[in-house]
Amino acid sequence: MRKLRKAAVLGLATALAAIGLAACGSDDGGGGGGKEGGEINGTLTSFPDYLDPQLSYTLEGWEGLWNVYVPLLSYQHGNGEETTKVVPGLAEALPDISADGKTYTLTLRKGLKYSDGTPIKASDFPYAIQRLFKLDSGGAPFFENIVGAEDYANGKADTISGIQADDATGKITIQLIDPSGTFNNELGLMFAAPVPQSTPLDKDQTNTPPPSSGPFMISNVDAPNSYTLERNPQFKTVQAAGASDVPDAHVDKITVTQNKNQSAQATAIQQNTNDFMVDPPPADLLPDIQNTYSDRFRFQDSINTYYFWMNTTTPPFNDLKVRQAINYAIDPAALNRIFGGRLHPSQTILPPGMPGYQEYKLYPGPDLEKAKALLAEAHPSDMDITVWTDDEPDRKRIGAYYQDVLNQLGFQTELKIIGGDIYFTTIGNLKTPDLDTGFSDWFQDYPHPNDFFEPLLSGDAIHPTNNNNFSQVNIPELTNEVNELGSKQLSDSGVEDQYAALDKKFMEQAVWAPYGNEEFTTFTSDRVNFDDVDFSLLFNLDYSSFQLKD
Amino acid sequence: MPPAEAMPTGEPPLPVGDKVEIVGRSPWYLAYLRLRRNKVALAFGALFIAIVLFCLAAPLWANYVADTGPNENHLTDQISIGGKETFVVAPNGIPIGPGLHTKFLLGADDNGRDVMVRLMYGGRTSIYIGVMAALITTLLAVAVGLAAGYYRGWTDSVLSRTMDLIWAFPVLLLGIALGTALSVGGLKIGPLSVPADSLWIPILIIGFVYVPYMARPIRGEVLALREKEFVEAAVAQGKGPIRIMFTELLPNLVSTIIVFFTLNIANNMLLEAALSFLGAGVRAPNSSWGTMIAEGEDRLVTAPHLTIVPGLMIVLTVLALNVFGDGLRDALNPRAKIRMEH
Repeated sequence: MRKLRKAAVLGLATALAAIGLAACGSDDGGGGGGKEGGEINGTLTSFPDYLDPQLSYTLEGWEGLWNVYVPLLSYQHGNGEETTKVVPGLAEALPDISADGKTYTLTLRKGLKYSDGTPIKASDFPYAIQRLFKLDSGGAPFFENIVGAEDYANGKADTISGIQADDATGKITIQLIDPSGTFNNELGLMFAAPVPQSTPLDKDQTNTPPPSSGPFMISNVDAPNSYTLERNPQFKTVQAAGASDVPDAHVDKITVTQNKNQSAQATAIQQNTNDFMVDPPPADLLPDIQNTYSDRFRFQDSINTYYFWMNTTTPPFNDLKVRQAINYAIDPAALNRIFGGRLHPSQTILPPGMPGYQEYKLYPGPDLEKAKALLAEAHPSDMDITVWTDDEPDRKRIGAYYQDVLNQLGFQTELKIIGGDIYFTTIGNLKTPDLDTGFSDWFQDYPHPNDFFEPLLSGDAIHPTNNNNFSQVNIPELTNEVNELGSKQLSDSGVEDQYAALDKKFMEQAVWAPYGNEEFTTFTSDRVNFDDVDFSLLFNLDYSSFQLKD
Repeated sequence: MPPAEAMPTGEPPLPVGDKVEIVGRSPWYLAYLRLRRNKVALAFGALFIAIVLFCLAAPLWANYVADTGPNENHLTDQISIGGKETFVVAPNGIPIGPGLHTKFLLGADDNGRDVMVRLMYGGRTSIYIGVMAALITTLLAVAVGLAAGYYRGWTDSVLSRTMDLIWAFPVLLLGIALGTALSVGGLKIGPLSVPADSLWIPILIIGFVYVPYMARPIRGEVLALREKEFVEAAVAQGKGPIRIMFTELLPNLVSTIIVFFTLNIANNMLLEAALSFLGAGVRAPNSSWGTMIAEGEDRLVTAPHLTIVPGLMIVLTVLALNVFGDGLRDALNPRAKIRMEH
């Protein structure tokens, strides 16, 4: 997902646990160091792209929605590696998988209700998957492997034939075209969360979110200013049905407000007028916060890649030498200043901690002379380019840096700064003019390298709207390799090395200009029981763990 | 005839009984003498000229002193301060502050850009927008005011109600609305196309929103002048309306226009700063004083100079223009001043 941080997989053991093992035990999301009830306030720099579970694909969205919409499977609450473990959500148990790996069978727990009292039915799951295709969601590629999904997406069928759901028994059967090493992970994503069938099939519900199944419900949305979560009165039905891996909330209400000024956000937490912030404090305040507020501030591991995308379908970036020149010219050490030292420089697609990651550097630099020489060889016909970034303070600085580098290389550039809440939907709409190059990031959806290659670099993943393959990379042999590796288990021999090799193959084509991986933070007010605040490697701050001190 | 000592020319009173040759003085010369006596106005006029010269010297400073342009990033560069190599932007992201070093005299911003160079180039942008917008306002306001005041009737009604409609919107809100609307796709009217990142977008917006503020006073003066005998004489001579407006009425409006023009530049610079601060004016990474204030807002606690210095420049420039403009008004329109005093 974008910006919000995605947790990265930490090591092979974590990946195996996340994919194959059933979760054991439960995490109630907090210790006994606080009180129940109360209200807290948080801030974020950019409002979520969507508050619709089938559409949202940013960190800001997933952090808020994780405890609102529970899929059939979920991810364990807690900290660190354990948060990448797939556990049962609304389903009674992890799926039974047939011997050929193509049939998944789950059973919906009994007696579940949405926050408005509507019963949660087994057929709500295929309805949610149908919404993905009708909305042209960025999550749709994850479910294209279901039998009949393509026909449904193309309007040739009224339902997805590969999903059978029996409301009477709660049984759900999913048939895949090919085996998948990641389908359990994908079932645990928000995209697959059941919603009532009264939810419009093809309309974004950000302003009127569907009733919830998690410990919180969205009680108010004032996009793009704020949204409010309150306790879901029907969550007790989920608990009563045995979903012990989905913890209840401790606070009664959370209001999350947008504030473009990160200094003001951090200052408000220092003064205890705000309780948490989704984004790290700005670079200039970090040293002081780290020293003065060490009892309520900490750095957090996060698995993500920051990069500049380059549209490979139009000049000048349809020329490999031009893209390679950009990779030579970018200086990760310079960009690290903008991150206040929280950026680990790298030039790979997969970030450290993700299975398949191997460190290498194909374009040692920064080397402006080498970059200029490559450009001279390429002699691109079009030197007028548009550079895209969003309006968050550090993103603007990244955009200004990138524009300066391009100007030094001889390009005539225009910098387009777009609101953070609409940035990715704007550059993900192929009808947007002048999509040449710009800022992006990607946070792990689940602990498997396919999460980086399939939605971001596969030729099959280029969508007219909600596109995530911003470079519009379409290299058939590499797309085939992505599909082939995606069908294998990570535990299979040599798969991780093959992913490492695939990483290098894409970078030999310089499809991106990656420059690093960001470290995240948790910073809360004095009111919050800081020690029990959980940080998921996939969903960032765990709102169900927030608890006020006694 | 008032006593000699009451004459505003500053010349010594004449001895009684002597024959005196009357030397004619043009209104402009008299205005010049009045202005020359207003030391405060002259001082602030000189301040404004000094600010303009300071901004015009931006390329000289950038090329020969600072050795950098306004948008060049120096995130990993080092400079020598007191014989010690210092990062322009430290690894933890904190930029160098102001100091007695020719490069980065006012420090650097978060992208390692020279604040002094950006201040000078930003001033060029802000003053350029202020002056060009004032020219557009003047041209449109004179045309509207002349037509409304001379023709009266339906023409006056339509033009005046249109001005009222524009005037009904708070200037800042109207400017933000227009700036935001044009910030993505630019302006396209028939063959006329202005890119979104062009300075002409804020120039046209600011020039447009202030038209009623100048057009209405001009219209009022035209309504009064229209009843004068020289206009009747021109009509009797067979002059057409357009010729009367430009050869008879307009010369009598020049002093009003000059004063409004000067004061309008100050208002325009304030509006440009506000629009750029809010992201609806000058587009990043180009610098104007407004964008610099916006960029520094995030660093108000640790690097207040990033916001204070461009803010101070705006204050000094607007103050200089306002005080000089007041002095100019007093010099060009002393009767108005006397009437006001009575």
